Amino acid sequence: MRIPDYQTLELRRKNLRLAWGLAGLALFFLVTSFPFWTGIFRIVGTQAVQ
Amino acid sequence: MHNNHTNEAYGFENKPLSKPRKHDRFPNLQLCLKGGLLTATTLTMGEAMAEYGLNFPEPAAGVAREIYGIHMMTMSIATILLVIVFAFVFYSLFYHRKSRGYEADQEFHNSWFGNWSWVIVPALVLGVDLTIAGKADTVLKSVWDVPKEENIMDVKITGHQWWWEFDYLDHDIKVESRFVPKDKSGDLYLREVDNRLVLPTGVKIRFLHTSADVLHAFWVPELAVKKDAIPGYVTETWAELDREGVFRGQCAEICGTWHSRMPIVVESVSPERFAAWTEGQKAIKVAAAAEASADKEWSMDDLLAKGKGLYETKCAACHQVNGMGLPPAFPALNGSAIATGPIADHLNIVIKGKEGTAMQPWGTLNDLEIAAIVTYERNSWDNKTGDVVQPADVKQAR
Amino acid sequence: MSTTTLTHDEAHHHEAPKGWRRWLFSTNHKDIGTLYLLFALVMLFLGGASAMLIRLELFQPGIQLLDPDLYNNLVTNHALIMIFGGVMPAAAGLANWMIPMMIGAPDMALPRLNNLSFWILPAAATMLILSFVIPFFPGGGTQINTGWTIYPPLSLQVGMSMDFLIFAIHLLGISSVLASINIIVTLLNMRAPGMTLMKMPMFCWTWLVTAFLLILVIPVLAGGVTMLLFDRHFGTSFFDAAGGGDPVLFQHLFWFFGHPEVYILLLPSIGVLAHVIPAFARKPLFGYKSMVGAMLAVATIGMVVWAHHQYTVGMSLGAVTYFMIGTILISIPVGLMVFNFIATIWRGAMTFETPMLFAVGIVLMFTFGGLSGVMLAVVPADMQYHDSMFVVAHFHYVLMPGAVFGLFAGVFYWLPKWTGHMYDEKLGKLFFWTNVIGFNITFFPQHFLGLAGMPRRIVDYNMMFTEFNVVSSIGAMIFGLSHLLLLYIVIKTIRGGKKAESRAWEGAKGLEWELDSPPAFHTWTVAPQIK
Repeated sequence: MRIPDYQTLELRRKNLRLAWGLAGLALFFLVTSFPFWTGIFRIVGTQAVQ
Repeated sequence: MHNNHTNEAYGFENKPLSKPRKHDRFPNLQLCLKGGLLTATTLTMGEAMAEYGLNFPEPAAGVAREIYGIHMMTMSIATILLVIVFAFVFYSLFYHRKSRGYEADQEFHNSWFGNWSWVIVPALVLGVDLTIAGKADTVLKSVWDVPKEENIMDVKITGHQWWWEFDYLDHDIKVESRFVPKDKSGDLYLREVDNRLVLPTGVKIRFLHTSADVLHAFWVPELAVKKDAIPGYVTETWAELDREGVFRGQCAEICGTWHSRMPIVVESVSPERFAAWTEGQKAIKVAAAAEASADKEWSMDDLLAKGKGLYETKCAACHQVNGMGLPPAFPALNGSAIATGPIADHLNIVIKGKEGTAMQPWGTLNDLEIAAIVTYERNSWDNKTGDVVQPADVKQAR
Repeated sequence: MSTTTLTHDEAHHHEAPKGWRRWLFSTNHKDIGTLYLLFALVMLFLGGASAMLIRLELFQPGIQLLDPDLYNNLVTNHALIMIFGGVMPAAAGLANWMIPMMIGAPDMALPRLNNLSFWILPAAATMLILSFVIPFFPGGGTQINTGWTIYPPLSLQVGMSMDFLIFAIHLLGISSVLASINIIVTLLNMRAPGMTLMKMPMFCWTWLVTAFLLILVIPVLAGGVTMLLFDRHFGTSFFDAAGGGDPVLFQHLFWFFGHPEVYILLLPSIGVLAHVIPAFARKPLFGYKSMVGAMLAVATIGMVVWAHHQYTVGMSLGAVTYFMIGTILISIPVGLMVFNFIATIWRGAMTFETPMLFAVGIVLMFTFGGLSGVMLAVVPADMQYHDSMFVVAHFHYVLMPGAVFGLFAGVFYWLPKWTGHMYDEKLGKLFFWTNVIGFNITFFPQHFLGLAGMPRRIVDYNMMFTEFNVVSSIGAMIFGLSHLLLLYIVIKTIRGGKKAESRAWEGAKGLEWELDSPPAFHTWTVAPQIK
């Protein structure tokens, strides 16, 4: 891990953790904007009931 | 050919009842210049604005009047608020300046007012909002809810690239409405059509909006209601016309190349004249059907003459009058493989359209009309096939 | 905060590297900020040129200059270039320059990511320009005649240009999301000791909210255009009613992004105003806390009122009522913001340098645009206004003062800090007046055009609309050309001028004014202590 010379290892880890968390949030919104997921969940759901 | 020349045929004046307002509006140029410079402060309300063309034209239906009312109300509130804001800012700009030796009040934000303004201001704004929302809600209900009455008249409005189709569902009448080129429409260019949407006054009319290809939107300011025409959807609006006249509008949702060439002309007439008009339309339709179904052999010249007129109204928007099209979206017919190849393929594409392209099915035209168009396309420009397609051939090809 | 050095491979480059490497490989927030601002300036002129072509075509009825498809393509490009290429990068440039200096951080939290998020932009801009250029070549397909909203089914008819546009939008989106992540991490983790969130400068607050909005809504746009791409090439019928899809779904996805986007454009400029107005009124910002609260409220409500852009698609009465009330309620926090600005100048000791002129202009004109926004929020009235020139006038009155003039104010306010030179005040004022007068002549008459019945996005119009279009086009030429003056002022200031002091403005407050003008290549390597 290359660390900018003004950041401590601890701060660097904290930064990266937050950044990946935010990226995850973005990804979540991307994936949920596709309507076919709702269709797939519905199919899975009805099959589970049967 | 049903539905052409409707207005002349049934004694309606083809002259516009309301002229375009160009000349009345010249004196206004100076006013609007000033208005532009001084922003909203020179706005004057009400009648004066309508007269100068600064506001909506006078409504011609109940819903439109209600909409006009709420438009005037919100605009008045907005103007009052604007004046208040401008007054405070300009007072401050004049008095609270360093060059006048004014000392800044460093504790203003810590005063009683500074501590409580975050409650006071939203409360005041909320009051204004509720005034607007309350009235808006009432108007919205009457505009949105189409009256459920037995005798409501249904008009289906279908948007096409780039013309309108009006189906009078209760009268079994179909009107195709297209823009009229400049040499024929003059001052009314882009506001004039070949066949108007004729509607009776004093009758509740339900408009059913849909589209054959892309989004369009039906908008005539005097009727006020605007709805998108969406392929696969039917949306509805309603109006009850309360005065006679000719009202002009345009397609409001961008629909491709000739979005600017989709005018709408509503002719509002008395119920008696409307009844006469519908009778006339039916007579034309019967005559056209009889002509088309007669087992008559048509001569090439007759078909070409008929075909030229039909081609120029129905086909030329895309394929152009000179048959050169607008490639690549709209291919040329001049010298094309379809228009010079086997007749069966040519008929097939005209009747059924071509999926995935802008070429729509034209199967709703009668046999004679299709025969005339195909004959024309095969014998015009550089196409010299010499083929004569008869209505009977079309019937077979369907 | 300690400044312990843990790796030495870049061993203490305290001076700027020379030549093109300085820019291409830069991880320095100031250099990347400069790159963003220069990029935005180039895009401002591209977008402005397309706008001037549009207005030239509309100068007279008839089709004189542009084919209808070319005209509509310019309309599309004008919007996309100005929004994604002009305003957003310019705001990101200000953020890059100012945020570390304002919060006492040595640089952005993720400097290499910072480099990436900028350098994606020129690639995206190239894609966007290619989408415009390709139809001019044989076999290049048709032009993008859809407007920036790229609604299907019309956008399914367009040729390969639309694919370029979709990929350009993807790239622009990735760039924005990466930049937003970086800004949030910087603001949350890199503040100087003692600077609590509620002591953070307002510009930082606005960007914190903006960055969150971007992360939430840009992916939805990306999803929407991806489905469009699938519909175009893989027959998925997401938006095709004939295949069981829904054309209106795209509109919902687009405006779920599109409406918060309005606040994304607006908020950074509001942040700039919150610095400029107190500086030139020589008294503290009125209502810091209510400003923060109002902003959070705007962002929250703004996320859930998107469908007011599509009142006419035929939603149920319940749905439109909800969207109408929600939209009208936005006037409460926005009204509070405007009120706070007016209360800040109230009983101040004002002087009127260029940034302050823009600030006052914004307060007045943005109020005007906001009020016409309330008119548009009312559903029955919107059935008349929708897709008419009235809407065009409204959103230019919101976005020009609300976003662009705010950026101009910021540029003039901080130019002395960046370059170390004062700009020419006389020219600055001349720019303000030509710009603002040109703007009003252009857009004010368009309200009347809309009410008289002129739809937007038409290449040709009936002669009854002539006079106001003539006025509008003349205004647009003044407005457009006035930006050459901006370019001249900026270049002149970079090249020289009166030496700027550390605190370039008498009333300026904040950590950035503690630094030299221009600041050293690395600043705040030792974090300041905030009381």
